[in-house]
Amino acid sequence: MFSQIVIGGFATGCIYAVVGLGFTLVYRTLRMVNFAQGQVFMAGAFLGLTIAQKLPMPTPLLLATVGASAFVLGLALERLIFRRLYHNHEVFIVGSIGLGIILTNSIRIMFPEPVPFPKVFGSEVIQIGSARIPETSVWIVICTVLLVVLLHALFTYTRTGRALRAVAADAETAGAVGVNVSRAIGLTFGLSCAVAAIAGVLIGPLYFVSFDMGDMVGLKAFAAAVFGGINSIPGTILGGVVIGVLENIAGGYISSAYKDLVAFVILLVTLVWRPSGLLGRETPVKV
Amino acid sequence: MKSKLSGFAIAATVLIGTAAAHAQDIKLGVIAGMSGPGTSYGIGIRQGAEMAVKEINAGGGVKGRKIALVVVDDASNPAQSVTAMQRLVSEKVDLIVGGWGSSQVLANMEVAERAGIPYVVVGATNPKITTDKNKWTFRVIPADSDQAEQIAEAAVKRLGMKRIAVVHDVNDYGVGNRDVFLASLKKLGLEPVTVVSYQSNDKDFTAQLSRVGSSNADGLAIFGTIPAAPAMMNQARDLGIKARFIGTGGLANENLMTLAPKASEGTVLTTLFHEDVDADAKAWSQRFVKEFSGAAQPARPILAAYEYRAIKTIAAPCLASAGTDRDKLRQCIGSFKGRMFGIPGEVSFSKTGQLQQQSVFVEVGNGAFQAFKGK
Amino acid sequence: MPILARAAVLPALLLLPMLLPQYVLHVLVFILIYTLPVIGLGFLTGFTGRVSLAQGALFGVGAYTTALLTTRLGWSPVAALLPAVLVTVAVAIAIGGAVVRLAGLYFVMATIGIQQIVGITLMNWIDLTAGPQGVRSIPPVALAGWELDSTRNFYFLALLFAVISYVLAKRIIASRLGLYLRALSDDQLAADAVAVKVTRAKVTALALSAAWAGAGGFLYAHYVRYVHPDMFGLEPSVLFLVMSMFGGYRSLEGMIFATAVLESATEYLRPFGEYRMIAYGVILLAGMMFFPKGILTLFERKARAPRKAVGAAEGVA
Repeated sequence: MFSQIVIGGFATGCIYAVVGLGFTLVYRTLRMVNFAQGQVFMAGAFLGLTIAQKLPMPTPLLLATVGASAFVLGLALERLIFRRLYHNHEVFIVGSIGLGIILTNSIRIMFPEPVPFPKVFGSEVIQIGSARIPETSVWIVICTVLLVVLLHALFTYTRTGRALRAVAADAETAGAVGVNVSRAIGLTFGLSCAVAAIAGVLIGPLYFVSFDMGDMVGLKAFAAAVFGGINSIPGTILGGVVIGVLENIAGGYISSAYKDLVAFVILLVTLVWRPSGLLGRETPVKV
Repeated sequence: MKSKLSGFAIAATVLIGTAAAHAQDIKLGVIAGMSGPGTSYGIGIRQGAEMAVKEINAGGGVKGRKIALVVVDDASNPAQSVTAMQRLVSEKVDLIVGGWGSSQVLANMEVAERAGIPYVVVGATNPKITTDKNKWTFRVIPADSDQAEQIAEAAVKRLGMKRIAVVHDVNDYGVGNRDVFLASLKKLGLEPVTVVSYQSNDKDFTAQLSRVGSSNADGLAIFGTIPAAPAMMNQARDLGIKARFIGTGGLANENLMTLAPKASEGTVLTTLFHEDVDADAKAWSQRFVKEFSGAAQPARPILAAYEYRAIKTIAAPCLASAGTDRDKLRQCIGSFKGRMFGIPGEVSFSKTGQLQQQSVFVEVGNGAFQAFKGK
Repeated sequence: MPILARAAVLPALLLLPMLLPQYVLHVLVFILIYTLPVIGLGFLTGFTGRVSLAQGALFGVGAYTTALLTTRLGWSPVAALLPAVLVTVAVAIAIGGAVVRLAGLYFVMATIGIQQIVGITLMNWIDLTAGPQGVRSIPPVALAGWELDSTRNFYFLALLFAVISYVLAKRIIASRLGLYLRALSDDQLAADAVAVKVTRAKVTALALSAAWAGAGGFLYAHYVRYVHPDMFGLEPSVLFLVMSMFGGYRSLEGMIFATAVLESATEYLRPFGEYRMIAYGVILLAGMMFFPKGILTLFERKARAPRKAVGAAEGVA
């Protein structure tokens, strides 16, 4: 049972990690938390569902299509909406929550009940030791690794990527040396939406998709990002995986009732003991 | 998009229902989950109501008065259910036929009882709903005290199960069933090999199912509803659990086979309605499917049948004889005695407002509910 | 508001039950109930610059405390009021005490954690709270044999609580404590010169906000007569926060006004089913986009000293 629980937890942890990346990307650039992340994740799953049903295509293409659409959506949202919310943290948080509510309920009108997602990753059950793992879980881990590698390449080797990092590090200076800060911010939002949407497609086949699937995942991914370091990409990945595994272990051995508690207790403990997170950089946060 | 139209339809129904309702119209309240996890059931209830009311109004209404439907969505959530019921009370509905989910109904019936509105429950099976405390609430579907007992007997005597595991939702439906089922098993001389619980909104049942797997059960009783139950069935089969599934009314929904096409095969459960019971049931079922084929949402006959019968066979005649005087309505409903298609013999309400009847056994076969033959 | 107008408000409010239909009164009762947690939030946000998304959970703790005491132990509701308030304060300080020292955004994050932890506990500690079944048949408040069973009767109790809470809040704000709390948000560093007292003041603000939330929860439980964990999740927390923000952080009157407006809006949108929630989301979003400093800034010229963005009170880079 142990390996079953750990491997399963690893897969969900990857989902938290990827969605958490969205939080991290936006936070690094803007010092703001976008609470519509979870709902973008959910919307991505439904977009994937609709495309897979109406226009069957090879899975990598599906992922790319969903990612690209979400990217464009992120750009648009930043331009039209987020830009007007930068006044202060709570305005941004509440505004993004409002956006999340709009997304959730729009999907709810179209899909009021949970629906099954096509098995785009196959429906084999793989035997690893004594654990029986659905194929999808394996693919989740593989895709997460690929995603992280791609992002790393983007940030390290491309000009755009380096510009994004510059803006994240110090927007003023970056602007001073000619980086188009406003465009960089837009691109960052696009990226954060893209990764969340892709995560939605990744997890789709594991469980049914429903309009409220983004709520808890969004909050836990947020906890994961804070835990790992909300201004650190590797930290967020680590945070996600750790929370995924730990909550599964707690659910399996202690009580399935309190499984959800793990992520939030970790969140609180992190904020009290080391607010910058496991791998985050120290910034003065206590006054 | 098809489902979007139904959303418009619901909003429109409510708007038209309340705005266009003349002072003369009889207001019939319907409450159930039209979004969220219980949607599969709520749709059936709404379809049944629409069909019944359409036929009644087409025939001139009740003594010349039309029936206006006031439909409220409680999102299958007890907290919202109380608010939704309060809305029905403020709308001054004459009576309420509907209600799905034991936790929801146990909560919202208090509002109806306090307001003194006759409430005919069609979708909640917890025994606590009809006791000597309810004055205005009636129930037309078999309670868990009957269903869980009957499935326990069937499991042991007809299916020959010896090692039965129980998985149940921690809400009123799951807990109510568990208690009756375990008590029945005890009377039959059996203890369950393991009992585990889950929350309605859980998606991953690995922890619970691991324990079921290691208990080597030959039968797994699932006391839960859509979508948790089919998700659990899928995951159980993926984990290599071969036990046969059994359950009660919560599993009696057409969506079970849609969400767990392979895993649900062979499940035996007590259902609330099956068209093979008698010729009238079959005829109605065909009419119903025809009416709702091609509609935005698939036809869901099981709960629709109860809603339809409750309105047409019980409520409408009482509205005709007692008018909309709430107290007279209540007495008329309580003294109902007659035949309803799909249920053998004459039925009537007990002193606690429970319609007495036998539930029907079905087995999932070839993606549909088949009459249960014996093994 | 001129004195005469203020004096006329109270008698007018007392007359309303005779003039208004039951459904409108019902909405009014909720408005009155909600002013408590919203004003409570004001202590935290308006006066110390701490934004909390846990007020809904604390509201729930108050509601559950009285629900359990009255249904399980048979206490009379009147006797359960004080425990409801005290338990809420205790929970707030126990979990939140450690995080009051956090600045700005990190404090908000922590309150999200608190909200979730309390919510999950309410849902899963089934032996205590009956979890997803909720607590039913909560008795009505009975005063001298008179049961406040109907909307009309309960209205007066809610009004009483709302008035007391408003007057009390005004007193506190005008007092030395209030001055001190405001100083905290205006210029944290200067106030920080007396370091130890700063933390104590923040904890006090937290306690006050929890007390108000607990009292509001008590009222809620005895009006709706049913509690369930889903009633106290992130949604009411956001609602209360928005009500306190829309009113402009520092104006109690503004908060009350915003509460009335927002609650009425959400109630009257009910016939529209799912579209209602979309409309609500739009209101939230549009409100933040176009009125980040509160709707009342449109109306009130004589606002208090313009409040800078919360960022001024933080040390986050």
